[in-house]
Amino acid sequence: MKSGLIKLAVLEFKLFTRNFLSMFFLLVFPSLMLLLFGGIYGNEPEPIFGGYGTVDVSVPAYAGIIVSVTGLMSLPLAVCEYREKKILKRFQATPLSPAYVIISQVSVNLLMTIAGMLLLFLTGKIVFNMRFMGSVLPVTAVFLLSLLSVFSMGFLIAGLAPSMRAATAIANLVFFPMLFLTGATIPIELMPELMRNIARFFPVTHVVKAMKAVWLGESISSVYSSLLVLGGVMLPCFFLSLRLFRWE
Amino acid sequence: MCMITVNSLTVKYKDLCAVDNVSFNVYEQEIFGIVGPNGAGKTSTVECIEGLRRAYSGTVKVMGLDPWKERQKLYGLMGVQLQDTAYQDRVRVWELCDLFSSLYRDPALYDELLEIMNLNDKKGAYVASLSGGQKQKLSIVLALIPNPRVVFLDELTTGLDPHARRQMWDLLLQLRERGLTIVLVSHYMDEVEAVCDRVAIMDRGRIISMGSINEVVNSFNLKTEISFSASLHDTGDIEGLTGVVSVARKRDVIKVCGHGDECVAAVLKYLHDNRIAYSNLAVKPPDLEAVFLSLTGYTLAEEGDSAKGGGRG
Repeated sequence: MKSGLIKLAVLEFKLFTRNFLSMFFLLVFPSLMLLLFGGIYGNEPEPIFGGYGTVDVSVPAYAGIIVSVTGLMSLPLAVCEYREKKILKRFQATPLSPAYVIISQVSVNLLMTIAGMLLLFLTGKIVFNMRFMGSVLPVTAVFLLSLLSVFSMGFLIAGLAPSMRAATAIANLVFFPMLFLTGATIPIELMPELMRNIARFFPVTHVVKAMKAVWLGESISSVYSSLLVLGGVMLPCFFLSLRLFRWE
Repeated sequence: MCMITVNSLTVKYKDLCAVDNVSFNVYEQEIFGIVGPNGAGKTSTVECIEGLRRAYSGTVKVMGLDPWKERQKLYGLMGVQLQDTAYQDRVRVWELCDLFSSLYRDPALYDELLEIMNLNDKKGAYVASLSGGQKQKLSIVLALIPNPRVVFLDELTTGLDPHARRQMWDLLLQLRERGLTIVLVSHYMDEVEAVCDRVAIMDRGRIISMGSINEVVNSFNLKTEISFSASLHDTGDIEGLTGVVSVARKRDVIKVCGHGDECVAAVLKYLHDNRIAYSNLAVKPPDLEAVFLSLTGYTLAEEGDSAKGGGRG
């Protein structure tokens, strides 16, 4: 049984690494973007970024991409696939509860999100000698809250979608605005007033805002409103997705 | 020995009664078939025995254990193939086998099972690259990995070509020889006739007939169909023969329906005695397929639309 749990987790990890799209958007795309924009603009202090360099502010902003890839795409699609293919039901007929299949999915996605963030951090550090003004504890805390908040949205997608196809459609519909309209890829500082006001309604905007703040050494209390939004999204999403959850 | 005892099992989905007071036994080392039209309650019945679904009322025992309350104990003793389960596309055959082996205390060697199923050269292949038949075989391998005493196979050969289906049937017979008890859910009558020792016919949540294939077929008292080509204009004499129920003629093909072997003998004797030349003689005794068709025909004729709302699920 115990070896079964480990085998299951290892297998889920292997399956994740075989998913080209997830791997690309999680591990390659953010670093590629950083190399591209860092290559163009360098990492010299810019007044529009409050005296920080492009790379300094991009790395925490790209955390928004990374948590969205796993939370909004990889996780809900995997859960829907497993339900639609009756894999969860198949595990009900073994000594291993299908709850462990979900748990190992979440764990693998969590780990891979952290790996994606570390890789991006290293790219910034090694290639651009990026400055990191924050302290580890608040950055980790904000990152984990962001993760849980976005994952809860993913679970809600999985719960709402009647089928794998619907889940793919919903996930794309949520993922791409979160990618481009939240400051995760295109800096929010470059957007006009109207766009910034729209962006406030996307939870990932608050991931980006909070991550940037604590990354650049501001206190965690300076972004309490963003943290409240993330928490406020997370609780109802988890509650609803638990109610909507079905094994088959 | 009795492997499975089902006593007055009832399954309800909200107001719908999917399984209505069903009772039967499955004995050791037999292949027991559950057949019936779609929505007859076959899968619901089997899922209760597998411990995947809770009975509304009635009792189910598998090897003396309650599959709902003692499922953990039972899952080591039973192998399950669910109706149309798929697996992750990018999982390799050996990885699934390895995972399933790690879930059981005394698993079978999956290498041997893959070899029996002719899948050993597919060990490293992605499941997505397997053909329909190979996927079904993999499902059986996974069902056999626990070293089970009893195996449940639901719609085993749906979507397989005739050759692969026959391979499956041979395999089931081999498995029974190795001491397994098999419960087979199917809506293919030829499959059930080919492998099952006993069969239960379900319709709208109830078992309407149960026994060996012969017993079940005979219990419906269906007609034997004799057909032949002959230039015979007046069929009135044939209608009067022993056992003959009806005679129909379409151009030179004459179809005679009647009961029992004496009807066949009487028709042949008549043709012989009257020196009537005939060809393409075919005698089709009633089979499970005919039973099945008569069942669905009966429903349509007798109850019409009112039958549609009846407890299906």
